[in-house]
Amino acid sequence: MSYLRFLLKFGYRNIWREPKRALIMIFSLSFGTAYILWVLNFAEAGSKEVMKEFLSQYAGSYQFTHIDYYPEGNTKRYNSFATIHEDDIPQEQKINSIPRVVAPVFISGHKKTLGVLLNGTSPEKELSLSKLATSVKKGRFLDPHKTNEILIGQSLANKIDAQIGDLVALIGQAQDGSVANDLFEVVGLIDFGGGDLEDALSFTTLESAQLFFSMDSLEYHQYINFDMERSPPEATSDKLKVTTWHQLLPEISVSIRFIDGFTKTVCLVIVVVISLGLSNTLMISFFERQKEFEALNIIGANRWWILGTLIVEVFILGTIALILGLILGHIFTIINYHYPINLELFTDGKPMYLGGMLIHPYVKIFPIVKHYWQVSLLIYLFLIISMIYPSFKIMSRGKNAI
Amino acid sequence: MQFELKNVSKIYETGQESITYGAKDVNLTIKEGDFMALVGPSGSGKTTLLNLIAGLLIPSKGEILHKGEDITHMSLEERTKHRLDYMGFVFQDYQLLPVLTAYENVEFPLQLKKIEKNEIKERVMWALEQVGLSQLKDRFPKQLSGGQQQRVSIARAIACRPSLILADEPTANLDSKTSQEIIDLFKKLNSEHNLTFIFSTHDQRLIDQVKTVLYIKDGQISEVKEHS
Repeated sequence: MSYLRFLLKFGYRNIWREPKRALIMIFSLSFGTAYILWVLNFAEAGSKEVMKEFLSQYAGSYQFTHIDYYPEGNTKRYNSFATIHEDDIPQEQKINSIPRVVAPVFISGHKKTLGVLLNGTSPEKELSLSKLATSVKKGRFLDPHKTNEILIGQSLANKIDAQIGDLVALIGQAQDGSVANDLFEVVGLIDFGGGDLEDALSFTTLESAQLFFSMDSLEYHQYINFDMERSPPEATSDKLKVTTWHQLLPEISVSIRFIDGFTKTVCLVIVVVISLGLSNTLMISFFERQKEFEALNIIGANRWWILGTLIVEVFILGTIALILGLILGHIFTIINYHYPINLELFTDGKPMYLGGMLIHPYVKIFPIVKHYWQVSLLIYLFLIISMIYPSFKIMSRGKNAI
Repeated sequence: MQFELKNVSKIYETGQESITYGAKDVNLTIKEGDFMALVGPSGSGKTTLLNLIAGLLIPSKGEILHKGEDITHMSLEERTKHRLDYMGFVFQDYQLLPVLTAYENVEFPLQLKKIEKNEIKERVMWALEQVGLSQLKDRFPKQLSGGQQQRVSIARAIACRPSLILADEPTANLDSKTSQEIIDLFKKLNSEHNLTFIFSTHDQRLIDQVKTVLYIKDGQISEVKEHS
């Protein structure tokens, strides 16, 4: 214990032999640590927030469907005959969930007929769980007590020439194989900020859609969960399939993974660059003390002991820098939690779209615990990397002389 | 008998087919209580001889025995341990660790030996008292004069109660008054505690006061002079 205390004392005091150099090393390491922590928090919390915002508009976190609903797993195609029943869904999965009837139909306005995906949903649940209602920029949201009301995209409305109050004709295939057709009144226009979804989606009440497709009142196509923090469950029966947003929106998922991977690569490059810089400073510092090491060796300190004191020095310095860096990185993260970053700073003030939906530009960053220990491990890793060459030089020194 | 050098030579290759003797066929026996000076011009081989005795250099020929064991056959780490266990060193430029106080500098080799805490304290205080610096034990080297730093260096050398203390030009950096004080200290430690000293020196005052003077020339002991 006394020996260890002596070693620590010796190491700690050696750090401060050159206070300016020590402070520069500590601050550079601290700022590097703080930056890496903040960037990791920004990348993950940021993308999580953006995705939360995006998914809460329509897609949800994951969904239960009949196993054959997406033919051969292709989430761009729909088998509207593959339905699920209210009783198929586990009770705990009904929390924060919205059942929907989702099937392709043709919609006709004054000008033309186009294919569209009709979503039958519960207006009350959409109001409480999703942000679909906020996308209605003209007209109003669906009235739960009325039938055959429809919301369509602004872009689609222009193409088929249908305005609020107009009747549009829907033609599809009912569950019994007959042709489903009916008139719906346009009550609102959805503005997703442009893009494909404005052309592809339409919404009516669940009851209207079930009536249209000749479905039972407890029969649906999708049961969508909007709890963004909840992990997707395993399917509870052979009939059910769980599809995550990653599977539903593979292009977006790949983009998110790319951003995540790119961020981590940048962090790793920063680590290597700082390691090389630190290694160089350590080399200078160690070689300045070479005569002292030789004297220590003459007195009786072997090369392992000398190397040990240097490792202790570097790790004390690294730990001080790491603690400071984590505190600093945490403070930056908390600041951005209370004062979210405006993503439009990076887009010259232009609006951002994701998957055809307008993204809320303010991103709230929050601390993610795993990043704190990941960064700590990373810092210790690059302390080890920065020690390799100086250590090798010390250990490979030849015989000493007085 | 403590240390014995038998036909020890150290050859340096200084070029193609050109060699220099740092030590040549040296035979020397160092007994307990010896107070010995190695004297000779620069490049005569004094420091080489000290390095050979310390195990810092391996002889090209011959053997160096301590308690019957040939230290030239030891590994680098074993020789380092041997120095720690049996030798003390005093340097011309003191070689104190600037970040440690006088007490901690003396404590240093005892910590390397992993001696028990109370014994360390006892030995450090004893060593500092011997050199008359127990009052200044908490001062850092830069807060001490050259003579005081050399005293701390001597205290560090004697704290481990070594069999042999090797001192390389111990008075070279000191003024004449301080040099004499240091020489008196060496003499006191030799006479009172029977500590064994070998000095490499040019200092005539030290040469005049040692018991044995070994004159070194071209790596060989050319003359041995005993003082009564």
